[in-house]
Amino acid sequence: MRPYLAVARGSTLVSMVYRFGFLAAVLGNVVYLAVAFYLWKAVYGDADTIRGLTFDQTYLYVALGSTLFIVLKTYIDWSLSHEIREGIVAIYLIKPIDFQLYMLASSVGFFLLSVVTVTVPTVLLITLVFGVSLPVSPALALFPLSLLLAFIINFCFDYGVGLSGFYTESIWGISTVKDTLVLVLSGALIPIQFFPDMIRDTLIWLPFQAVYYTPLSLITLPEEGWEHVVRLGVQAGWAVILLAAGRVFYHQAVKVLRIAGG
Amino acid sequence: MAVRSPAEYLRLYFLIEAQYIKARLQYRADFMISSVGMVFSSLATLGVFAVLFNSINELAGWSFMEMVFIYAFYMIAISPMQILFDQFWWLRFDVQQGTFLKYYFRPLNMMFYYVSERFDIKGLTQLVLGIGLLIYSSVQLGLDWTPGRVGILILTVLSASLVQISLVVTAACSAFWIVNSWPVLSLAWKMREFAPYPMTIFSGLMRITFTYILPIGFVAFFPSQLFLRPGSVSSLVYAAPFVGLGLFAITYRVWTHGVNAYTGTGS
Repeated sequence: MRPYLAVARGSTLVSMVYRFGFLAAVLGNVVYLAVAFYLWKAVYGDADTIRGLTFDQTYLYVALGSTLFIVLKTYIDWSLSHEIREGIVAIYLIKPIDFQLYMLASSVGFFLLSVVTVTVPTVLLITLVFGVSLPVSPALALFPLSLLLAFIINFCFDYGVGLSGFYTESIWGISTVKDTLVLVLSGALIPIQFFPDMIRDTLIWLPFQAVYYTPLSLITLPEEGWEHVVRLGVQAGWAVILLAAGRVFYHQAVKVLRIAGG
Repeated sequence: MAVRSPAEYLRLYFLIEAQYIKARLQYRADFMISSVGMVFSSLATLGVFAVLFNSINELAGWSFMEMVFIYAFYMIAISPMQILFDQFWWLRFDVQQGTFLKYYFRPLNMMFYYVSERFDIKGLTQLVLGIGLLIYSSVQLGLDWTPGRVGILILTVLSASLVQISLVVTAACSAFWIVNSWPVLSLAWKMREFAPYPMTIFSGLMRITFTYILPIGFVAFFPSQLFLRPGSVSSLVYAAPFVGLGLFAITYRVWTHGVNAYTGTGS
């Protein structure tokens, strides 16, 4: 475990170097929070609830969703495919480490740092400027666990796309498709309740919703009980399945690696 | 600097891009995958609109099909930035590594030379998709297209494209002074996402910002009104065909200043 902790600590320090890029992401998110506020105000109009959700619930959901997007982004897909293309990946192959764990550890620092630096100001903004209150319920206690599982699942998506760099020169297309699928099907841009019933009933079993819908509903649907536990179970299941799938993919993909000197 | 006629530049542009595209076509699979990515990212917001209108009938007085029209206009308007000016994403690296210096040594307009370095083929997917959606929504809405209206459409699309190009290129040019322009650039790039929303939903500071300061309202919403509601538009909308030119003139000045101020980073 010790080597991985060292990697995680190192990655936290490295991510502090990119603080201006980080600041821009936070600033962009603040503008998005304002746009979303007006957009959903216009959507709600005079309606008290749409699809069983109040404006406050929906706005809180969407606002925290876009914030989670920044927090959960690992950029492993870009860095890993870059390292494969440049042959840098060879360094990892000769080290006595587990590659997947190493990658996970190297993105956990950025994650932990952004949980604090992005989430805290966002929550303050939502509650103080936009006047939307954060409901406190027992379900909130499960949030850290659910957030961690969401991070692992999202890591698996990014890791899988990064590994595809073993097969293709540029991952722009694959990464864009992944980002879009996750954002739309996870209910990050629009709560899953808004989808037509049949699509919604399918989406809740897919891994995408486990990234945003599961942790966010712990906050926005405080009145639910067992439903949370079921969703957490589904989430944990997908985390295990995707971690295992990532290991299989890695062992297949690494076989095609050819490094031409350098 | 040698003065060349626009026709000469156009001929040069085709010559350069023909070579560029030939080289790119070696990576056919990459083009296919990137195009699929482009389709996905283009249609994501539209998908959200579709889901949203499953629960509501109108958004600030605009129907779903009208939103599709505005979105199609938006897709067409942001395409020239993607297809023709994509090289500006690399400006920060060229400035940092000193590779930008080579652009000083050709008897060509520097911005032309810089822009000609890249032709983003996958952006054509977005353009074609946008045109298709514009035609589809026009038919569905029963819009009346006279030759005069088509002329205004071309003019307003060009103007809207220049708005998008100006915002992103100006942001990219900050590299001349701060080198790593990524934070500024990504922020400017994110702003475009808010262009297809009806600007009437915003109030106060937001509305002023999106109309006058970062005028993304002119990328899609204001010009679209000329076709969707020609009878009831605010006088501001008539500025739409001309805002782009003014903004681009400012951007060109920023670029010229940057080019003259740049001395290399020592690497």
